Amino acid sequence: MALQALAGGTSADKRRRGIEWLVRRQNPDHSWPLNQTVTAGSWTTALAITALGASAEHSERLHAAARWLLEQEGSKPGILAEIILWATGQSGVNKLSKDLIGWSWVPSSFSWVEPTSYALIALKKQRLHLTGTNVDERIREADAMIYDRMCTGGGWNYGNSKVLDYALWPYPDITALALIAMQDHASEKANQDSLQVLSKTARETDSGLALCWAATCFNLYGRDPSDFHKQIEKRFAASEFLGETKTLALAVIALGGKSNPFRF
Amino acid sequence: MRRRDFLKYTALGSLSTTLANCQSSGRWQPAAFRKKSSSRVAVLTAKGYDQPLKDVLLRGIKLCGLQVKGKRIVVKPNLVEFDPKGVINTNPTLIEAAIDAFRTLGAAEVIVAEGPGHRRDNEYLLSASGLYAVLREHKVRYVDLNSDDVRATPVRSSFTNFKQLYLPETLFNADLLVSMPKLKTHHWAGVTLSMKNLFGIIPGTVYGWPKNILHWQGIDNSILDINSSLPLPQFAIVDGIVGMEGNGPLQGQAKNAGVLLFGDDFVSVDASAARLMKLEPRKVVHLAKADAFLGNLASERIEQIGEKLESLQQDFDIIEDLKDLKTLTG
Repeated sequence: MALQALAGGTSADKRRRGIEWLVRRQNPDHSWPLNQTVTAGSWTTALAITALGASAEHSERLHAAARWLLEQEGSKPGILAEIILWATGQSGVNKLSKDLIGWSWVPSSFSWVEPTSYALIALKKQRLHLTGTNVDERIREADAMIYDRMCTGGGWNYGNSKVLDYALWPYPDITALALIAMQDHASEKANQDSLQVLSKTARETDSGLALCWAATCFNLYGRDPSDFHKQIEKRFAASEFLGETKTLALAVIALGGKSNPFRF
Repeated sequence: MRRRDFLKYTALGSLSTTLANCQSSGRWQPAAFRKKSSSRVAVLTAKGYDQPLKDVLLRGIKLCGLQVKGKRIVVKPNLVEFDPKGVINTNPTLIEAAIDAFRTLGAAEVIVAEGPGHRRDNEYLLSASGLYAVLREHKVRYVDLNSDDVRATPVRSSFTNFKQLYLPETLFNADLLVSMPKLKTHHWAGVTLSMKNLFGIIPGTVYGWPKNILHWQGIDNSILDINSSLPLPQFAIVDGIVGMEGNGPLQGQAKNAGVLLFGDDFVSVDASAARLMKLEPRKVVHLAKADAFLGNLASERIEQIGEKLESLQQDFDIIEDLKDLKTLTG
């Protein structure tokens, strides 16, 4: 995605090699694995779809992957699990609705904010090519799930707003990601409240990752990200983002201007 | 009616007892686990983080007979989340002292590694907690275990449905894992100490966050299977200088305990730490089960050295549903 966001002819060859690398690693069932050791289809499929979204020559491959993604869904506890949760005192400890289904990190497990957000971004970008599928229904329910997991006052963490009556706090990186996934509901109060939370928490956070996500999100919501850009430069000077490739790639996207791969 | 009362008097209660009994047998291969006849746990006082902690650590390591010369050591603190008003994490000053102590004793390399279970923004966690400054000053490598390369390893007990676990490659390339938990109560597991701290070696990129699949398999079950499957020797240093009581592991209150615990048997170390908090280790499910095959829980099988545990005991508060742990049985 970062290579796609880079403008200019010098990166064209690198973009092509990046795309070829990604295409070679697609599983026969059209999903993408986490890595060479864990080869089953994973949450990274949504990211791969978003990354390849601009490559017209791979459209068939992309649509097949999107269909694979639509077949995946988070699960909810069965009756036995509910009994065990109740018996061990864990059934009512969270505020969240267990009935709203999004996407999980691991097959056959619970839905969480990040894999659901990644899936929403990928599917909302590919939506027009998914006629005859349940894409609209899945998106509607996943949108509701994201709002259900919002922290009191706005913003998101991994996906739990309350435990044992104690409010949990939002994280700027995940708040930005969820807002990006919900950019088609920009005027909703929940989005606006969460943008305020993001603005405050990202500024207070010594983290290139959080700042890059925040700048990328502000760019999509038509807000001025220039303050974040300055902070990103300062953080890089201070820590070089700990050498994390993920943050470096996000910095390229955050500072890259209009070619935002998360836009739909 | 409270859940515990309900379970006592209903068929479900009987069923869970039956299931628990079934779980006690056949969950591990006896030949694969040889418990020592007794385990040594050192308990040393350290009144504050401004004390000469390196000296205390050197003494604790020496008392336990730990040899580190020429070894590559992975130090695994508890850095699950950060709250500026809380005491969630292993104090960075203690981690710094441990790095210094291991290097003084001739360790070939000391690596600090963690795979945070909630907030996995490493730059933020390290900076906010103060650990980044320590790592930078001492030129220590930090490994994010959430996104490390992984290797499949067979699970050597079967409390969960996992047949194998993907564990970070860093562990396979090290000689010793040092678990450095905070002395804390836990609202589900009762306590979170050197055994529970190893949730942080489970890679989030494979298992997701907040490591929820481990909760679905049962927290206690997951603790047991992770600890039974470690691919390298281990040692524990528990940060009990300031612990956490009440609604741990994140939202409890600070509790000054002024103590450090050391040992190579995590069951013994954690049982001693529980007793130090005036909590009954036999009522902590994973400790009670681990006593059967992983390590020693019984006081008479633990050689307590250093300070007398009884003189340092503190009454740690715990959430209402777990008050039963406060009844000590010996």
